[in-house]
Order: sequence, then C-alpha cells, then structure tokens
Amino acid sequence: MTQRRTPYLILAPGLILLILFLVLPLISAIFPTFFNGGFTLSNYTSFFLDEYNFGIFWRTIKVSLIATLICVVLGVPTAYYISQSPKKWRGLLMSITLFPLLTNSVVRSFAWITILGQDGILNNALMNIGLLSKPLTLLYTEFAIIIGSVYLFLPLMVITLVGILENIDSEIMEAAETLGANRLLAFVKVILPLSVPGIIVGSILVFTGSMTAYTTPQLLGGNRNIMLATFLYQSATALGNWQGASVIALIMIVATLIVMKLFNWVAGRMDKRGEANA
Amino acid sequence: MSYVELKDIRVSYDNKNNILKDLNLSIEKGELVSLLGPSGCGKTTTLRVIAGLIEPNDGEFLVDNQNLTKVPVHKREFGMVFQSYALFPHLTIKENVAFGLKLRKEKKNNIDKKVKDILEITGLEALSDRYPKQLSGGQRQRVALARALVIEPKLLLLDEPLSNLDAKLRLSMRIEIKRIQSKLGITSVFVTHDQEECFSISDKVAVMNKGVIEQFDTPEEIYKNPKTEFVARFIGFENFFTLTPTEDWKYKAVDGTVFQSNRDWEPGKQTGTIRPDDIEMAASTTQHTDNTVSGVIKVRTFLGKSYQYEVETSIGTLIANKADDVVYQVGDAVTLSIPAHKLIIV
Amino acid sequence: MRKNVSLKIFAGLVFAFLIVPLLIIIVTSFGTNSTIQFPIQGFTLEWYTKVFNNESFMDSFFLSLQVAFLATLLALIIGVPAAYSLARHTVFGRNWIKSFFLSPTIVPGLVVGYSMYQFIVIKFQFPIIQGLLLGHFLICLPYVIRVVGSTIEQLDFSIEEVSWTLGCTKIQTFIKVVLPNITSGIFASFMLAFINSFNNIPVSQFLSGPGVTMLPTSLMNYIEYNYDPSVSALSVVLMLGTVVLMFVIEKTLGLASIS
Repeated sequence: MTQRRTPYLILAPGLILLILFLVLPLISAIFPTFFNGGFTLSNYTSFFLDEYNFGIFWRTIKVSLIATLICVVLGVPTAYYISQSPKKWRGLLMSITLFPLLTNSVVRSFAWITILGQDGILNNALMNIGLLSKPLTLLYTEFAIIIGSVYLFLPLMVITLVGILENIDSEIMEAAETLGANRLLAFVKVILPLSVPGIIVGSILVFTGSMTAYTTPQLLGGNRNIMLATFLYQSATALGNWQGASVIALIMIVATLIVMKLFNWVAGRMDKRGEANA
Repeated sequence: MSYVELKDIRVSYDNKNNILKDLNLSIEKGELVSLLGPSGCGKTTTLRVIAGLIEPNDGEFLVDNQNLTKVPVHKREFGMVFQSYALFPHLTIKENVAFGLKLRKEKKNNIDKKVKDILEITGLEALSDRYPKQLSGGQRQRVALARALVIEPKLLLLDEPLSNLDAKLRLSMRIEIKRIQSKLGITSVFVTHDQEECFSISDKVAVMNKGVIEQFDTPEEIYKNPKTEFVARFIGFENFFTLTPTEDWKYKAVDGTVFQSNRDWEPGKQTGTIRPDDIEMAASTTQHTDNTVSGVIKVRTFLGKSYQYEVETSIGTLIANKADDVVYQVGDAVTLSIPAHKLIIV
Repeated sequence: MRKNVSLKIFAGLVFAFLIVPLLIIIVTSFGTNSTIQFPIQGFTLEWYTKVFNNESFMDSFFLSLQVAFLATLLALIIGVPAAYSLARHTVFGRNWIKSFFLSPTIVPGLVVGYSMYQFIVIKFQFPIIQGLLLGHFLICLPYVIRVVGSTIEQLDFSIEEVSWTLGCTKIQTFIKVVLPNITSGIFASFMLAFINSFNNIPVSQFLSGPGVTMLPTSLMNYIEYNYDPSVSALSVVLMLGTVVLMFVIEKTLGLASIS
C-alpha cells in the first residue's frame, strides 16, 4: 500500500542526512578509540588516570556545577519577579533577559574581558576608590569562566522558569499567606516546589551548556584553565592528536547524557511532573 | 437497490477487535438518516467509512450503484460537516465556501453565483468577508454547512454538528439544517448521541451499539417499538422485568402475574419493558387482573410537572411518573397497571 | 499589587548584571583611545568605519549570512514535511525518530564540527564550505522539527479532512490548507534557526579554512591578538542586528513565542 510508505518517504531525506553527517562521522571518529590491535578501553582508562587530563575533566564538571547553582539562585527569584509583574512590564523585562541570549557569545564573553581584565573596568574602579593597591588577577581564571558561563546561560534558566511560574496561580501564594506563612516562607514552601520542573529543565540546559561550551573558556579561561571543549580543540589542532580528541568527544557526549538522565531521575524523585517536562 | 448501500462493512484497527462488525445500511435518495448511539458505538466510524476517511477491512460501499469502496476521499464528492466546524482559519467566509468550487475549475462568475446563492440560503450574506475567528459558534456552523452544500454533494455527512452549540441555538440550528436539507433534497447522514435531536430531524434512525446497528427504523417506530433492550434503554425505557412466554400467546412474570402485549408474540423474547410515563397507578385494590401488579412506594421525587415514584413490586422495582392531580405518599400501597398496548417485549 | 522590596532589589541587580556589560561595550566603542577604556575619553566613530573597511570582517559577515540562510532554508525544506509526518501519520517508532531528529542538540557543537571535519572533509574530501553548510543544517533542523511540529499539533486535523472531502488531494491540502496555517511556526523556527546558526561558533570552529571563516570565528580570532574598540564597534553592530530581529519577532509573533 502506497499510503503506508508515504511517511517514511517524507522522513527519509532528514534521516539520511542525519545518518550520513551526524551518526557516521561520530562513529568513524569514536570507533577507532576502542581498538588497538583488539578491543580495548585503555584510551579511556588512561585518560582518567592521567592527572592532567582528569584535572581538566574535573574542572569542567566543577565550573559547570557552580555556574548551574548560581543560575538557580539568581534565576528563580528573578523569574518569579518577572512572572508577577504587570503585563506591560513583563514584555520589557523579558526583552532584557532575551537580549543577551540572542547576542553572539563572543560579544558576551568579550564584555567580561573588558570588565575583568588586568587593566579592566573592575580593577580600575576598585583602585580608583582605593580598595585595591594593585590589580587582582580575575581574567583567565576559573572564576572568569564561571562568571562568563553564568552570563551566558542565566537567560535560559530565567526564561524556562518564567514559562513555568506564569502558570502558577497567584492565588496559591495568597492562600499560603492567609494560612499564616510570611512571604519568604510562602515562597520557599510553595513557589520553590512548584518550580522544580523548571529548575530541572533549566539546570540541564545550563549544566550541559557550560560543560560543552567552547567560546567562553577559550576567551575567559586562557591556556591554564582549559576545559573539555578547549582541550578537544587543542588536542586536534595544536597537538594533532586526533585519537585523543575523539576520546574527549565521546567523554563529552556521555557526560552530557549522564547529566540529563541524572537530573531527570532527581526530578522524578522530587516531583512526579518533572519527568514529563524534562 | 437503494441510493446508498453499506454491505457487510467491517472495520478493525488491530484485526482482533472490530470497531464495526458486518454493518449493513441502506439509505434512499433524499432521506436524512441519523446514526444514534452512545460514544464508542461506531457511529462516527461508520460516517468516516462513508466519507472515505477510513478504509474498511471488509465490505462494500455503493452510491447510485457505483462501488466507491476504493475511491479516495477527495474523489467522492461528498460534503462533510465536522463537530469542530473545521473552517479554514486563513480564508474569509466567502473563500471558505468557494474552496471546493475553485478546485473543480468552474468559471469564476459561476462560482460567484453559487457562493452567493448558498450564503443567501444559509443567511450569511452579511458575513461573507469576515474570517472564521470573527464569527459566533452558530454562524461558523452555518458556514461549515454552506461549504459542504455548495459543491452539490451526492451525500451530505454531518458529524455531531450541533454538539458545540448551546441548547437554544442547537434547537434552532437543527430546524435550519432540516429546512435546508429538505429544500435541496440532499441525501444526508447525521451522527448524534442526542435522541431528541435525532428524532426531530431524521427520516430514519439507525441505533448503534458496539459496532452493529441494533435497529433501523423511522423515529416513531423506534420510539414506540424498540426491538432490543439496548434500544429501549437508550431511548428512555426504564422498567425492565423478566417474562416467560406462555403457550396461549401471553407472558408470565416471576410472581405468576399474566401479561398481555399488543406486540407480536415471539417465543424467544423474555423481557418486558414500559416507559415510566405509561404505567398507570391507582390506590391499592384487592382485585388482581392481568397486566397489574401491586406494590409499595419506596421513594418519591418531585420532577416539576409530575412526581416520580419508585414502587417495589413482586416483579421488581418499577418506576412510574404521575401528574400531581393525585399525590401518593411514601409507604402507600398502590396497584400498577401496565397497558397491553404500551407493554413492549424485547 | 504588593511588591516585596528585597525581591525587587534582587531582580534589579540581576537585570543590571545581564544588561550592563553590553552597555559598557556600547560606550567603549566610541572611545578615541587605541585600547579599550572605560569611561572613555573623547568621542569618535572611527572604529565603526574601521569595522566596515575590514575585509575579513565583511567577508565573514556575508559568509555567515549566506550559510545561516541556506542552512535554515534546507532545514525548513527537509524539516517541515518531516515535522508534519511525525505529527499526523502513524509512523513506526515515531518518538524514537523524533528524538533522533532532535539529537543534534544533545551532541556538543564542537564534537559535531570535529567529527564532521574528520569524516567528510578529511576522509571524503568534501570542500569545507559544504561541510560548514551541513554542520549548520544540523544546528537548524531541531528548531524546525520542534517549533513547526508543535504548531502542526495545535492545528485542528479536521480542516485537512474537510479539504479532502472538498476535493483536494493530500499534497494540495498540505499546500493550500496546512502551510498557510503554520506560517507563524515556520517563521518562528526560521528566526530561531537563523539566529543560532549565525551566532554559532563550536560547529564552525573545525569547519573553517582559507577564505571560509564565519563572522563569530573571525571576531574571536581577532580578539585573541587585538584589544581595540573596533571589537566593541563590531559587537554593537551585531547587537543592533539582534535588536532588529527582536523587534521583527515581537511585531510578528510576540517574543513569547520563541521563549
């Protein structure tokens, strides 16, 4: 029956392109990392046993985790504030949030170079008011990468949360207050649990985004604070170590998948609705 | 040979459970036939088989002696009205109505004339340049009807077209549909779960249950002479009691009371039924004749123009509606008589 | 409505955090000094003329525009029918196929570019520009599948059935009834895919070569060796582009539709 075949004919071009230019390239890059004469995991065990490599892996996880936490802490109240604003203000506040998101990440990282640099705005300002006698080293540190990552991904967290919080009836908050909770307690007991699905989705976006970002660690981290993505690029281009680059590629993919599964699992345990949303 | 014939139609999605089982239906030219039944009975599936939106696993579908079973939906030239109206949101009312005509490559002034005529018949002239979003539910329904009719379809199919309207509008729209349908003399199939709507509009009604037609008759016949217990229950019979046919063409109830019915006596049928309105009720008498049972009132409910009594009798609990000229109390002993001409055997 | 003052201050600081760095860039782009300074001394538009006279910026800008446009177009041509099919047809393994179409978002961009570079540029000797286009197509496709898919799912299926009963074939119906009613979804996905392709760096990082450098990569390379206000000026130009895009989206769809 021709009717049964039509959908597959329509889907075929996309599927074929994905297989040819995503799946096959990935397999062809990663497959050889498991073979050295015979099947082996040695490329991966030696990656993690190497102190330098493991340091990069650990830094990537640490930076992403801290950036995610900061995004949650900054994002939840901000998103709540936006969701409670009158309609005419909400558009403006959403624009302020969206604008950085739609601006090129090089531009956004560059902004922090001008702020955090040795001769940057922050150091100059602190020295002018006499708080510092000599400039702090802020740029090319893990701190800079964290700031840059938060700056990069906070809008994503806020927007995800606004979507969820807008659907929370404002009467719920009032109900909590009539029951004797003060505003802060009502926020912690009512709004926070209800925004868990949004926090999970937002955290996945921020964490995996920070973990695999290339621009920010490249521009703000410098050569001493390499992350997985910059390491991959260096291995492949500067060192010509294609095998090593492929190992890092798979580690990044697997780490991304694990993080997504883990967050969804946590969400499932904390809130039954989390699974459907994430 | 009728104008429309469905022969042994079977529809199954998994080849185990049949949505429709060997369904047969004949519709004469110009008739409006309703498919009536609870949700899940297969009435919409039947309509979609007719429309060509579902291909039956087995069976044949003919219109005017042409076998259309394998003809794709866009070549059938039937007009269909959907529950959701399904107007094209991006087209004006006029464009919606002209949609089918333009595909037929008719001359422009021909199209314009037909569109104008149908908009006039359906009372939509003033709205022709609006978009569906700007219309009320009843107006949208009219547009959907006009769009289906303007192509001069061989068959008009209506899938619960009134169910999204409020009660008052529903009433006037069904009169409207009937008026236009009989004016144009167009053979129509109407799907509904509302028996009052269905009775008022149809020439014939097919009551469906679990993929089969239980009874196909005129509305009067179905109302007065339901053939099966399902049909009886669906159209408002509430009293059912077991009867055993006796050799003298009568029936005997569990307590020995003899019943007579004016319906044809058939040995296979074993249930008597009567509408609550048709039971006659009187203060208890000792005289015990055929077609009467005595009992005690257990519950009384005020319904407005009448009272409803639940009476416990020796053949089971019977429900009777009585006007308020004589009011009985809970606990009263009463005699119920079930007139032979109102007793239905199913 | 009662407002909590501390919440207001907190949110105000976050908004400042989000917007002030970009404002600083704008200010620095007008400074006369040859390195970036804040606050600036003097006022000049010299850096803007420098940007527009910089051939490598201009070349990469037009390349970025072309690649983003073509990749988005390809993603629409392949993605819109696919999204329709996934929403309307009974397809074996439908959810699996849908996840597969969305999978380019799960694979890190740098890995996409890297594996593609190795496979099609090195192994199969494709020109880099083709690899770049295909890489950006992979970025764009998930946006089309997701946004257009949800638009189609919200469209009443019976308008298609009605169109069939009125004599349209399935293909005619797709063109005359489905497409006109999903234009907003197509437009939104076009915008999203275009912006993301235009701004993307990781995928292009490996897929660049002589004469084939995308604007963000070109800007990034420039920053590594220069620290002058022309970077600010180019940034401002890019931000202006963003503003225009946001304005267009707001006027046509409302910004809410892309968030």
